[in-house]
Amino acid sequence: MLKQSIFLFTAIYSTLTYSQSPVNSAMFGTMEARNLGPGTMSGRISAIEGVNSDEGKIIYIGTAGGGVWKSTNAGASYTPIFDKYCQSIGAIAINQKTPNTVYVATGESNMRNSVSIGNGIYKTTDGGDNWKKIGLDSTEHISRLLLNPENTDIIYAAVPGALWSNSKHRGLYKSSNGGETWDKILYTDDQTGCAEILMDSKNPNILYASMWQFRRQPFSFNSGGKGSGLYKSTDAGKTWKELKNGLPEKPFGRIAMTLAPSEPNKMWAIVESNKTGLYISDDGGETWKSQSATLNVTARPFYFSAIVIDPKDSKRVYRPAFNFAYSSDGGYSFTEASYEGGWIHSDMHALWINPNNTNVMYVGTDGGVYVSIDKGITWQFNHSLPVGQFYHVGIDDKEPYNVYGGLQDNGSWMAQSSGPGGVNNAHWSNVGGGDGFWTVPDADGKVLYSEYQGGNMFRVNIATKKSEGIQPEKTSNEEKLRWNWNTPIVTGAKNSKNLYVGAQYIYKSTDQGRNWKRISNDLTTNDKKKQKQEESGGLSADNTSAENHCTIFTIAESSLDENLIWIGTDDGNLQYTLDGGATWTNVSLNVAKCGIANQAWVSSIEPSHYDKNTVYATFENHMYGDHKTYAAKSTDLGKTWTRLNSKEFVSFAHKIIEDPINKNLLFLGTEMGLFATLDGGQNWFKMKNKIPEFALVRDLKIHPKTHDLIVATHGRGIFILDDIRAIRNLTKDIWDKDVYLFPTPDITLNNGKYGWGGPQVSGGWGVGNPDYTPTIDYYLKQRLATGKATIEIYDDKGTLIQTIPAGIRRGINKVSWNLRSTPPKVAAGSVKMDGAGFTAPMVLPGTYTAKLILNDKEYLCKINCIHDAENTDQNEADRKIVYENATKLKGLYEKVNHLIDSVSFYKMALKTDSVAFNKNKSQKLFYAELEKVRAELMGTKKTSIFADEERLREKVSSLYGTFCGMESKPNFTQLEAIDVLQSDYKKQLEIYTSLMIKNRKTTLKP
Amino acid sequence: MTKNIIIAIAFTFLSISSIAQTTDEIVSKHIEAIGGKDNWAKVKSIRTEATIKAQGAEIKVVSTQVDKKATRSDISLMGMSGYNILTTTEGWNYMPFQGQTKPEPVTADDLKAGQDELDIQDEFLTFKGKGKKLEDLGKDDFDGTECFKLKMTDKNGQETTFFIDPSNYFIIKKTSKIKANGKEMENSSTFSNYKKTDAGIFFPMSIGGGFGAMEITKVEINPTIDESIFKLPKQ
Repeated sequence: MLKQSIFLFTAIYSTLTYSQSPVNSAMFGTMEARNLGPGTMSGRISAIEGVNSDEGKIIYIGTAGGGVWKSTNAGASYTPIFDKYCQSIGAIAINQKTPNTVYVATGESNMRNSVSIGNGIYKTTDGGDNWKKIGLDSTEHISRLLLNPENTDIIYAAVPGALWSNSKHRGLYKSSNGGETWDKILYTDDQTGCAEILMDSKNPNILYASMWQFRRQPFSFNSGGKGSGLYKSTDAGKTWKELKNGLPEKPFGRIAMTLAPSEPNKMWAIVESNKTGLYISDDGGETWKSQSATLNVTARPFYFSAIVIDPKDSKRVYRPAFNFAYSSDGGYSFTEASYEGGWIHSDMHALWINPNNTNVMYVGTDGGVYVSIDKGITWQFNHSLPVGQFYHVGIDDKEPYNVYGGLQDNGSWMAQSSGPGGVNNAHWSNVGGGDGFWTVPDADGKVLYSEYQGGNMFRVNIATKKSEGIQPEKTSNEEKLRWNWNTPIVTGAKNSKNLYVGAQYIYKSTDQGRNWKRISNDLTTNDKKKQKQEESGGLSADNTSAENHCTIFTIAESSLDENLIWIGTDDGNLQYTLDGGATWTNVSLNVAKCGIANQAWVSSIEPSHYDKNTVYATFENHMYGDHKTYAAKSTDLGKTWTRLNSKEFVSFAHKIIEDPINKNLLFLGTEMGLFATLDGGQNWFKMKNKIPEFALVRDLKIHPKTHDLIVATHGRGIFILDDIRAIRNLTKDIWDKDVYLFPTPDITLNNGKYGWGGPQVSGGWGVGNPDYTPTIDYYLKQRLATGKATIEIYDDKGTLIQTIPAGIRRGINKVSWNLRSTPPKVAAGSVKMDGAGFTAPMVLPGTYTAKLILNDKEYLCKINCIHDAENTDQNEADRKIVYENATKLKGLYEKVNHLIDSVSFYKMALKTDSVAFNKNKSQKLFYAELEKVRAELMGTKKTSIFADEERLREKVSSLYGTFCGMESKPNFTQLEAIDVLQSDYKKQLEIYTSLMIKNRKTTLKP
Repeated sequence: MTKNIIIAIAFTFLSISSIAQTTDEIVSKHIEAIGGKDNWAKVKSIRTEATIKAQGAEIKVVSTQVDKKATRSDISLMGMSGYNILTTTEGWNYMPFQGQTKPEPVTADDLKAGQDELDIQDEFLTFKGKGKKLEDLGKDDFDGTECFKLKMTDKNGQETTFFIDPSNYFIIKKTSKIKANGKEMENSSTFSNYKKTDAGIFFPMSIGGGFGAMEITKVEINPTIDESIFKLPKQ
């Protein structure tokens, strides 16, 4: 029986393994995405902490959707250190006694509509190289971590908790063992969390906690309620009492508060209430006094929760909020930072002051990090943090193509995808303000469409950046137009002249937004209960269009038929028209049948490129507290739907796209990662490819010409995974093979598209270009454990012209051939580097063979090298002339070096017996004569790096290099110079020959 | 009943495969894989010849090392040659390719940071004696292979992370964090194509790093070495 069971089990096991695809991200590790940034406009910063020291060089930056970045040089450069984990950061705490121990709490707590979600607290003990999750996984949002400086095993975590649902995981938590276990030590109810925790700097048993009742729904926000309050403990959190004396009447909203580290009885609190204001206490919170304060101090309390006191001076109060305000009189009066250094991004959330040098501070804004060295009066921007929060990405078909996109609180931007020297901050240009969302190029190449929140949309002239408002207006007999915060602006996939925008109605324009035609009735549920945005905000009104609801959120024209248009709303409707908008069919009930919540936002729709009846869509329901990944497919025009599921999926879905060449290749972007399938959705894997594993992937595009995957992230800017053909072409019959050498695409013979582009400016963000020629790609089922891996290149006559080291990794390997043969050998005894030894003439058009050698096995593929017909400076005949002369110069260079070697050989031979040599006059003369020849053939004097000595070899080398790099016709002087150099060589050869004839028999004789 | 048995077997199967190997086991299997402690104990000097290919051009590298005393690399390319030397008391770099016209001394920090490199033994044979701390960081991907990831930290806080291929227990990647001269730098090298030498120890014949891909063409164990090569040559 046991035997049978084993047999049965093995059978089941093998069945299971058979149905599993072996494909995973590790196979594509050689394909590394380029992060285009930008750092020009950065993204929201949620936490800043530094290691206390006089130098203040080690800084940790926590971001809204870009993970944690570390600087070890006071901000001269930053490195991302949290790329394998949740990217939304709520708080950071450093153990200042052993500063390599750092805690990161995920889940930002600036509770705006677009805030992301965390999954717990992480700890490192090696300064961020390795992290371990240590708990509070279900808290979603954590606003503060606080360590007891006397006993650093004691940690407090202030947990506001879930934004979109009731939760018992809120409150104040305490760990007494360095984060191994946590106890909830202050809890009000499942709607009230802990927003702030303070510790008396002289008595760690005295704690202050602010509790906050808040809730978002997709259509409203409420800050405030009976749960909010201010509490104090004098026994390290065992017991608490509420502080009320002198504070305004409850209910409260969010309370921002702080105390003076130098005089901890002095406290400041900004209390959101019906009398929102600044309150000051001199007795550890027992009594409070209202203090008049500027608008900036009290503005938007749910969003601006930082107030900080100079660690040494209790009179110096900082309020980073809408702007940066500071007080020198303990908070009685405030002034704002100087704009002498230029604009400082508004909306501030974090401030770290170096306690050892309180002139130096770092502030985190909605647009990145600024540094001040004069106590916050003037600020310098750090340009090297690419943590922009894109909502969407657009592309055009220019060469190179451009990427377009709108960012949270940072407007709309565009940049080229490659260029001389790559892409850096300077290549990004602004094409719109406010919060940016859809930024869509028109097919005419001259204009684009951009918008700011609530459907304020513009047609922008790309050359002049002048813009015209084009938002459709309400006409008579229409309800007030409801525009989503992130209003869709979409051009047609079939007919690119079609421009669509959606309020509750769909509007279409065929003349770039000059005229609009409404092509639908209200396509939403039009639920009036969800349309009371003017009442939103709670204690402080907050109606910024972020809560607009019952709106159209996504629009997609079929690439097969311009009359087939799909739309999705933020209140659960998914509708299509087959007649360009005359009639619409709502399929939302069909979707619900496959288990997707009825009211979920339709986050994306992808009509198939292969079949009009097939459509993919993603749905997201996180605004109702549901984080499941909803993606589905219909093959019958929405009548029935099949869920696309995978254990790999994490968090709610934003975008699904279908590859235009391989219909089994799909990509899915969620709030926590990028996923792909190669079998039409049966098996999915997480894409890593140097993209953070939990990146907030908002939008995806595949470029039809370059085959690039373009990824818009909400927190790490734009990534481009260049040329995904290696993924696209990996089919089952290939991944089952041990080795597979892919056909190499035709290679156009040139030196790439771009020149050098100059050095990368320090302090910015930049990334290089993709490979300038297609690579030789092959697949290995397993890593090559032993043996050598090389690729040999042969010409059409079967001559070996180049040998290249090859990769041995599991999965896709990529090898670049520089389109040249082996460079010439350089004679020994040089005193400076000679570039000729690194280059060879570019090969002529023709068919070459790549031979992949793995240990003792060989695999062949043909490579077609073709003339660059786009290069008008060089026709095929010119190319041949260049090649022949480059080859001639290579021959001459080799002859010169050979002659140098011969001279050196005889020089050495003469000195074999140095005693005899020193006595032999004719030998010494011969030696000197040889050296004279050598000194004509090459530079021999070594003085300094800047002292160039040009002799025959250097002249040949220089001209050879010119011919090897030539992509035009040689000029007359260049051609004549070859003859001159050849005759110079002959002259030296003759001198050498006659010297040898004269001396060989006599002087050289031993 | 059958179902229970299957579950029981499946459970056993899963538990066997999921039992993590202890760090000691990984270390001892690694030592065995590279030829064993005894064979390594006999190694007092090593000389290797290697080639780096860059754009089809060849760079020759000859490395000579005497255990716990000194190491020297001679590099030739483009008809020029340079070297770097490190001993227990001094170090010199002469890289005429970069325009140097005379040897330049290494900084005291670099000399200190490089001392560990003078030990010819595999790190896993000596770390305990040197008071280094070894930390098991679980498994991590390198080049498509889920490797054992171990981190060694010395008394000065210098960290080296090793990626060990679980199929053969060879180190296939090593990353060192070097704090010197007020800077922090990270160096990574990759290793493959391990071959057994006559002395019974295994040597990676392919080494990758910032410099490109290096193929070792010759390994001599315990060759006779004229130790004067570790002195600063006369210019």
